[in-house]
Amino acid sequence: MIGGAVFYLLAVATVVATLLCVTRSNPVHAVIYLVHAFFDLALIFYLLGAPLVAAWEMIIYAGAIMVLFLFIIMMLELAPGGKPLTVDRQRWIPVALLSLVTLGCTIVLIIQDPGGAANGTSYHASPREFGTALFDHYALAVQVVSFQLLFAAVGAYYVGHGEPRRKEGKAP
Amino acid sequence: MIVPFAHILILAAILFVMGLGCALARRNLIMILIGVEIMLNAAAVALVGGSAYWRQVDGQVFVVFLMAMTSAEVAISLAMVVYLRRRRGTLEADKFDGMHG
Amino acid sequence: MNQTLLFLIPLLPLCCAVVNMLFGMRLPRLVAETLAVCGVAAAFLLTVLFWGYADGAGTQATLGTWLVAGDTAITFALCFDALSAPMTLMVTGVATLIHFYAIGYMHDEEDYARFFALLNLFVFAMLAIVLADNLLVLFLGWEGVGLCSYGLIGFWYGESANARAGTKAFLVTRVGDVFLAAALLWLFALTGTLSIGAINAKAAAIPAEALLALTLLLLLGACGKSAQLPLMTWLADAMAGPTPVSALIHAATMVTAGVYLLCRLFPLVSLSAVGMAAIAAVGALTALYAATCALAQREIKRVLAYSTMSQVGYMFMAVGAGTVAGAMFHLLTHAFFKALLFMAAGCVIHLAGNENDLFRMGGLAKRGSRGVFWLFMAGAICLAGVPLTGGFFSKDGILLALFTHPDPLYRLFWGIGVLTALLTAIYTFRLLYLVFAGEPRGDAHPHELPQLMRWPLWPLAALGLAGGLLNLPPLLGGGEWLTHRLGTLAGRTLEVDHLTEMLLIALAVGLVLAGWALARWRYGRFQPLAEGRLGGFLLRGWNADAVVDLLVVRPFAAMARLCALGCDRALIDASLEALARQTSACGQRLRAMTNGRVSTYLSGFVWGFLLILGWLLLALVR
Repeated sequence: MIGGAVFYLLAVATVVATLLCVTRSNPVHAVIYLVHAFFDLALIFYLLGAPLVAAWEMIIYAGAIMVLFLFIIMMLELAPGGKPLTVDRQRWIPVALLSLVTLGCTIVLIIQDPGGAANGTSYHASPREFGTALFDHYALAVQVVSFQLLFAAVGAYYVGHGEPRRKEGKAP
Repeated sequence: MIVPFAHILILAAILFVMGLGCALARRNLIMILIGVEIMLNAAAVALVGGSAYWRQVDGQVFVVFLMAMTSAEVAISLAMVVYLRRRRGTLEADKFDGMHG
Repeated sequence: MNQTLLFLIPLLPLCCAVVNMLFGMRLPRLVAETLAVCGVAAAFLLTVLFWGYADGAGTQATLGTWLVAGDTAITFALCFDALSAPMTLMVTGVATLIHFYAIGYMHDEEDYARFFALLNLFVFAMLAIVLADNLLVLFLGWEGVGLCSYGLIGFWYGESANARAGTKAFLVTRVGDVFLAAALLWLFALTGTLSIGAINAKAAAIPAEALLALTLLLLLGACGKSAQLPLMTWLADAMAGPTPVSALIHAATMVTAGVYLLCRLFPLVSLSAVGMAAIAAVGALTALYAATCALAQREIKRVLAYSTMSQVGYMFMAVGAGTVAGAMFHLLTHAFFKALLFMAAGCVIHLAGNENDLFRMGGLAKRGSRGVFWLFMAGAICLAGVPLTGGFFSKDGILLALFTHPDPLYRLFWGIGVLTALLTAIYTFRLLYLVFAGEPRGDAHPHELPQLMRWPLWPLAALGLAGGLLNLPPLLGGGEWLTHRLGTLAGRTLEVDHLTEMLLIALAVGLVLAGWALARWRYGRFQPLAEGRLGGFLLRGWNADAVVDLLVVRPFAAMARLCALGCDRALIDASLEALARQTSACGQRLRAMTNGRVSTYLSGFVWGFLLILGWLLLALVR
């Protein structure tokens, strides 16, 4: 029961955060709201018995991909800056609310752990089980995916490197 | 399971639709890419829910592959964004209409 | 001689017309004019030459087959008998004299070829009416005179008023032609033939209601050409044409075509008593109407036009009273003196310096040529019915026929005829006094009068004055030559005792004297007064033009507007345009799909996905 209530609370928080992300005009705000949504999603994954996936959601998605987005936004100077840091009550309220909800759910999950291995009859995938499946059954897929990551890295380098400098007078 | 499977799927659907709306309605390339990210996450939610429902780990494995794909895709997309910004000076999707008929 | 040669009578004017049409402007003027005159004069000479062919039952001649439909064959056939021979002689003779007059009248005109071609063509068409042996040839001539009259009235079409007058004449007579065509078709359906002789022979077999309806249809057809009520509005405006045209068409020939038609089909129409009464009624009312209008006219030719309308009304009354001889007698004498009057009016207009208005003429007896004065006087006394002139005997014959008719209704018509005779005398003497008496009121300079405009009038004056000899009543020792000539075609024989006849003659003389006295009292020393309301009403022909405009022209124009704007433009065109616009708009909307934007293409994905989803859901539900 606790687990159910927490799930619904987290679901609502996710949806609200995503909604706010989609409607922001400032891309930095949108990215931050999305990161918050990913935090809530990670908690949901943990509730559903996928602790490893939850961890990776945090590390890879929220930690790497979204940070990359932020890097590019700031590099291209897409967000309007130059505003002084003021405490705008209207801006802070939704943020504070969402954060409080997430914090509360986290604390409950730490204390109660409804999705954990020790509790209840719901499914819980231990890391051993996960690793066996990944490297035993899906070994080929792992190799293919690593190739693809290599291709992506090479491609990103090539596209992002820019064209070689030409002589003076010609357009790049 | 702590909640019925249908509710997880509903959550996934809502997130997917919001991501779709963001990809369709926003003009900024970055926002379109963010919409794509949201849609991929919604798929991940559905997969994890399925894995919990049928008590198999394959769903979660697939989510890992999904995240790997996403990282690769985001890398190339953002490189492309940088490139386009350098070439055209703008990131508005409507300005890239060279395929118009 | 071969009787087919009779066809030369109508065909010679036709050939001259065709030659003038095709080559007239390339020939020297004298050649074209001579050709025109010779065509008609030759027809006249041939009529005199073939006069013997009209004895007895007459001669039929056929030139060839016109139409063959099933077992009916319609031929070009002409009939030269006791009724058509005098008429032909009159038409060709008067036409020859008018052609000479026209050469003089139109000597300033540059477009002479068209004029003489139309004039000859008109004579051909009129002869086709007179000599026709079947109704289709008659109808051919009927339409031909309508066409030529349109062309001749609107001859100076540069002035749009003239063109409008020509169009008005054509359209109003066309209305009559519709009724004639209906009668023609009905007769064909009833009797299976269009030959006039055969129809007259089978007339007794036609049921009475059909006879009455046929008579009324024929009457309406005749009214159109003869300018009787209700189709009379065109004649006064037709004076816009040249004077020779008025003399030929509106005095002697076309307006009498209606009378001639009724005389030709007399065995048919005389079988219906109500029909005959209708004919007489139309004639009487028109005679009275036209006489009242003539009293107030200011243009000299319009007076003569209304006078023609009135006299043709007399002819209709004669046919209605049952005497074809009386109608033909008046037709012939009227042709002589009215043509004379019109041509003399043309001379008067010339002498007054192209002035048309009576109120601005005057004193021409002193100023102009005396010859014109005597010629005009000759025509006027015939018109007024001064004793011993041709007009006197013919008009008196008609009044006698009306008086002695067994049906008491005809006494009313006789009364109207008497009143009209008085009015005729008044307006005739009014005309004389206004034109010739007193001091000149206008100040225009007289034009030179060519000889060709003078000498053709003398024979007509002689014929008009002596015309009484054609059908002199036995009371005065005559032998009623025309009546005997017509034989069985003459209609009712008049049985009247001598006392009544003397009284009627005395009454006629009294009317003439009274009319002369009234005219002299009013117009002897004339001061133009302002036009009163009654004067204005009569001047405009009892506002007939306004009535026709209100009843016929405006509804027709409204209907045309409804069809053109309401149906054609608002419905048909608009719907087509709307269709085209919608198709174009669809195209524009489709074009918006290929704008090169990613969001558009993504939307396309989503819509397609929704469609597939929906289809799958429907499949699941079923």
